[in-house]
Amino acid sequence: MAVEVPRVDPATGSRTDPSAAAGTDLQADGPWCTVVWNDPVNLMSYVVFVFRRYFGYSRVVAEQLMMQVHEEGRAIVSRGSRERVETDVQAMHSFGLRATLERAGQD
Amino acid sequence: MAHAFRRREDGSLACRLDGEEKAIIAQVAQETADLIRADLGIEADAGVLRRAADSEDPLRRLEAEFAGRDAREPSDSAVKRLFPAASEDTELAAEYRRLGQQHLAEGKLADLRRVMAVLDAAGPDHSEVVLDEEDALVVLRALNDVRIVLADRLDLQRDGDFDTVRMLQQIGERVEGAAVEDDEHVSADIVIAVYELLSWLQESLLRALD
Repeated sequence: MAVEVPRVDPATGSRTDPSAAAGTDLQADGPWCTVVWNDPVNLMSYVVFVFRRYFGYSRVVAEQLMMQVHEEGRAIVSRGSRERVETDVQAMHSFGLRATLERAGQD
Repeated sequence: MAHAFRRREDGSLACRLDGEEKAIIAQVAQETADLIRADLGIEADAGVLRRAADSEDPLRRLEAEFAGRDAREPSDSAVKRLFPAASEDTELAAEYRRLGQQHLAEGKLADLRRVMAVLDAAGPDHSEVVLDEEDALVVLRALNDVRIVLADRLDLQRDGDFDTVRMLQQIGERVEGAAVEDDEHVSADIVIAVYELLSWLQESLLRALD
């Protein structure tokens, strides 16, 4: 199994990834992920709606992801090929959610 | 006076808005669309580009090609928020912008146009505004984009900032009493009121859809 080496932050050159082990089960789904970031404008109910509607997540999963965004500032909401994740990020932007794509294991 | 969205028996979603509310929502939707177009340098009339692309003049065709391909980095803070960088990696973000921004902008402008059309069709008086499921999705997205622009103008940056703005406004009202308000103050109050109306309307539509 390939091991995802955490990327060193070019700004500091010293960032290590304490949660690199979490990267192990990402491999199955692909090496990229969609990250949604917290912001003070989007209603919690709207964020849950978007996660349910676009990704087809259950209410429970969508609410957990929303709470993670709200409390931790960000959450990984999907994983997959780069193309797949680019499509997801574009969709999040169309809904007005702040989203970025990342290599899995980067955070 | 606005009435919240509810689901009707035929499955459509309906709210009631008075003429002034409809006019204000249509106006902020128009202003949001104008802001996006101005900041990203998008032709108001897409036909101009299409005609240039079909032009006999090779230079005009070339111009049209570049205009279509060019994805201008947003400079307005609200437009930056509507078209955020898709990566912390600047090169990746720039490539993403080049490939997707035009399409994203067209989607947002189409949503805003649709909202204006729906409000326009509802007429100038107090009336019901009826949406099918597809329009409901469009309205949710467009209301959200308008709220993002208004929030930027109110400088909302963190959770709870709107409550602070609201509190300061109320303290201001109490302190000033009957004093004449300056123009800047009045417009901030209007932005706050419109932001509240749109937030309430969006929440009510989400609840009706649930």
